[in-house]
Amino acid sequence: MKYGYFPGCSLLSTATEYARSGEGVLNLLGIEVEEIDDWVCCGATAAHATNHLLAVALPAISCSASEKQGLDVLTYCTACYSRLKQSNQVLKDSPELLQQINEIIEEEYRASERVLHIAEVLARDIGLEAIKAKVKKPLKGLKVACYYGCLIARLPEKLRIDSGECPTMIDDLMRAVGAEPLDWPFKTECCGAGLTLARQDVVVRLSGEIIEIAKENGADVLAVACPLCQANLDMYQANAEGKTGKQLGLPVLYFTQLMALAMGLGPEMLKLEKVIVDPMPVLVEKGLIDRGVYL
Amino acid sequence: MRWDITEKALHSEFLRTVEQRSGENVSSCYQCGKCSGGCPVVADIELTPNRIIRMVQLGLEGNVLRSETVWCCAACGTCNGRCPIGIDIVHIMDVLREMALERRVVPPPGAAEVLMFYRSFLDCVKEFGRLNEIALMGSYNINSWHLFCNVMKAPWFIFKSKITIAPHKIKQIDRLKRAFERIEELERKK
Ligand code: SF4
Ligand code: SF4
Repeated sequence: MKYGYFPGCSLLSTATEYARSGEGVLNLLGIEVEEIDDWVCCGATAAHATNHLLAVALPAISCSASEKQGLDVLTYCTACYSRLKQSNQVLKDSPELLQQINEIIEEEYRASERVLHIAEVLARDIGLEAIKAKVKKPLKGLKVACYYGCLIARLPEKLRIDSGECPTMIDDLMRAVGAEPLDWPFKTECCGAGLTLARQDVVVRLSGEIIEIAKENGADVLAVACPLCQANLDMYQANAEGKTGKQLGLPVLYFTQLMALAMGLGPEMLKLEKVIVDPMPVLVEKGLIDRGVYL
Repeated sequence: MRWDITEKALHSEFLRTVEQRSGENVSSCYQCGKCSGGCPVVADIELTPNRIIRMVQLGLEGNVLRSETVWCCAACGTCNGRCPIGIDIVHIMDVLREMALERRVVPPPGAAEVLMFYRSFLDCVKEFGRLNEIALMGSYNINSWHLFCNVMKAPWFIFKSKITIAPHKIKQIDRLKRAFERIEELERKK
């Protein structure tokens, strides 16, 4: 299996740990990826909140390149995933819009390829049995609150790959690597997303609540699939503590980092040092990490 | 907030325009409120999403386009997931923002920063083809100094090598700029 890899801007900077751990896991499972040639930013909320044509045109440039490479699109970031997938769908549905977009981007895009998220590739295309077969060090006893956020869960109904209110795909992946996914109510609550700089007040409140509920439900770590969720949930914990007076301090990891850990990949692929709330204490306590290797 | 529901507003084009541009049947909303029940930002805004929908029905164009809600909506889609008749509220919010921009409505203070952030973001994409946090903060900070200070309160952000310093520029940047210009041209014609 081979996919056209769309890293997206975050995976080159704030989320290199997502990129490396995901790459490591896919490699181990025999999946080949080829970076999409000269891909451009998906435009994220900034484009779709302000300009409909731009919100469709930007993803179309990258998807068109992938189509030329003859590959389906694979993304990690759920924001990119949501934008690429929705743009691809409206262009599939509307030949007139497709023509207009082709004139704008100087391409002959046909919107023929699929757009996939790494969680769906792992859980569906590769399958849980193949993943279980690669586990070297099951994450025994690690209670994981899987957090999907809004972008995977709330796609328009016909594009959805999982339940909108109670998705389970990442829970299944966590169970496959031996961890204990929790049944908890905030799986799809919004973290404040793109309001992160402009309305920090909103984001601190929303992210703080999610961490609080995860802790109350006994989580050791939170597993996420989106660079923006990771940043919001990880970096505002101190601010939220200051506001509510409740002690937080819950490590927020990409689900691929946890999979990579279970599959025995090394520190350079896990990049645990990039996470702000230090995950080492809990991972050492659970006997999942040998401190000597990391320090 | 005082709503001036007038005969003139009720018979204005506003409702029809929003329905036409979004392709959504705004008139069919029966105000069950489920959209607002799940909306994460209701605590921070004056007008909940169901009220916005009601105001569109009543033709209250000015109040809607000037509201903080259309800019503070995080586009999370919870409202869409909960609406029993399947109204695409997120798309309606997109349309309202576009209309506010076209009509040069001055956004309220809490919303102006959101708009400024979006603009800086897109400027950066137009320049490099990809987003680079440093470049983004650079252009954002010109517009909004205190937000830049907010960012700078978090030195770990740099220490943890969360951010790369060198902007990544794509190869076909000229083609991208032409695409941006064509879209801007189409906007002007609207
Ligand atoms: S999409 Fe906007 S209006 Fe709808 S629930 Fe989310 S924040 Fe509220
Ligand atoms: S959920 Fe739908 S029907 Fe109910 S108030 Fe909101 S838009 Fe109207």
